[in-house]
Amino acid sequence: MANLEVNLGPLKLKNPVLAASGTFGFGEEYASFFELEKLGAVIVNSLTLKPKQGNPPPRIAETPAGMLNSIGLQNPGLEAFLEKDFPRLKSLNAAVIINIAGDTEDDYLTLARELSEINGILALELNLSCPNVKEGGIFFGNSVDVMSRLISKVRRACRLPLIVKLTPNVTDIVELAEAAESSGADILSLINTLKGMVIDVSKRSPLLGNITGGLSGPAVRPVAVRMVYEVYRSVKIPIIGMGGISNLDDALQFFLAGARAVAVGSANFIDPYTIPRLISDLQQFMESEGLHSIDEIVGAAQR
Amino acid sequence: MLAKARVLRNEEIVPGCYYLQLEEWQIARGSLPGQFLHVRIVDNIAPFLRRPFSIAGAFPDSGRVDIIYRIVGKGTELLSRLGKGEYLDCLGPLGTPFSPARDIAVSVLLAGGVGIAPLLFLARILSGEGKKILVYYGASTSGELLPLKEFLPKKAEVFLATEDGSAGYRGLVTDLFESTLVAGTRRAEIFACGPKPMLKILAQKNRYWGYPMQLSLEERMACGIGACQGCAVKVRSEDDKTGYLRVCREGPVFDFQEVAW
Repeated sequence: MANLEVNLGPLKLKNPVLAASGTFGFGEEYASFFELEKLGAVIVNSLTLKPKQGNPPPRIAETPAGMLNSIGLQNPGLEAFLEKDFPRLKSLNAAVIINIAGDTEDDYLTLARELSEINGILALELNLSCPNVKEGGIFFGNSVDVMSRLISKVRRACRLPLIVKLTPNVTDIVELAEAAESSGADILSLINTLKGMVIDVSKRSPLLGNITGGLSGPAVRPVAVRMVYEVYRSVKIPIIGMGGISNLDDALQFFLAGARAVAVGSANFIDPYTIPRLISDLQQFMESEGLHSIDEIVGAAQR
Repeated sequence: MLAKARVLRNEEIVPGCYYLQLEEWQIARGSLPGQFLHVRIVDNIAPFLRRPFSIAGAFPDSGRVDIIYRIVGKGTELLSRLGKGEYLDCLGPLGTPFSPARDIAVSVLLAGGVGIAPLLFLARILSGEGKKILVYYGASTSGELLPLKEFLPKKAEVFLATEDGSAGYRGLVTDLFESTLVAGTRRAEIFACGPKPMLKILAQKNRYWGYPMQLSLEERMACGIGACQGCAVKVRSEDDKTGYLRVCREGPVFDFQEVAW
């Protein structure tokens, strides 16, 4: 049997296929389809310090080969999460990575500090790239200086492995990736959604309640693969690749470009069994190719 | 659950409106009125998302599940091409069903357009429990009205409304219903499904009428199982706080007082 285990710096995973934040809730909904312990990890929906209502509907717009969402980080807040959702997720034996978002530096620091004290969390993923909230998220992810300062502070506040999720909505993602690495990020997640919009022609108005939303699905995959490819060449820390992955071939593109793990997002909405199927297809692929570890093909397409 | 349901019938019953009969035993046995199926229309990425459809009938003894849909876009257009014997990828039954009160003997079912679908299922179940069924059914014109006889229990009383007056009452179905109300009307509960403006009017008027009333809502949906928070509906709690619930999970059926329009 091929060994699917993978080390992302300080983060050790049983396999390199994760559920992407924002598409998997707090895991509960998918647990009725398969055992969550099969997953490399579940990256839960963005958690903020205080409860967040989210954006007005419509929040979903279908697009060619993808979709826009403008959820706006709706979540119950840290306290309710720790009381209710987290224990349930742990009882389902999931490997849990917590995605955190904030309006201020202090929000991120408090979240990082408090979650650091909780047993059973594998890592934190900093959401510096949500295109759907005004105050936080993207504000920290657009500027090298602001982002670097935040990452260094969170790094000092927290003992957990630190993943930084970068936005593709910038001129040069490599510059951000390098800055994240030098500020103390252990791992990079590439990419968050691409900011976009759809206009309802019959109403002559934006379709989404929030006007703009984040594009995901197969439509963004070539952009994501390119960004993983470029970032891989300039940083040493491992990359989790995501963006429009729904099958083995899609995932392999990311590994070959330089990702050491992948996350599945909107494909979960189409077929809830996407991730377990991908894990078993990957296993078979590695066996038929005689691979002992996924590391043997990571970055193999680099020229 | 996720299942491949076999198509028994997929026919246009009135222009632009289709009656789809599927065979899938587990879904047929597990479905309750108000729940929906989340359907993957094609095996590729265009259209990308599933489409939610209210269940119009489920028959545990024959394994049959019915859907009634109107062609509104690419997805439903492709669905209409599905032939007998082909298979349809269905996720469901999903969502929270209607919850009729045990002790109310009269059920008013109020529908606009294809919103009649979940109420047909409900009518059959409630009629089987011996309840009196009154159906108020409206459309813009008579050509859009489904032949309800085919779907409703014999004892159900039907009142029609069309906006152009080509069949039944001329005007909105909500006005038709209101015109039949008399002071001291007997105890009844209302179940309604239809376009948002219709449901909003109903909810507002029912603050005075005071019937127990449940509404089946619609919203753009992605996962259908509660994970993505996409199909949000604004609600108001008893202490007047607003927030969002999921049409796919806490809904699609909501108490009329819950919804913040």
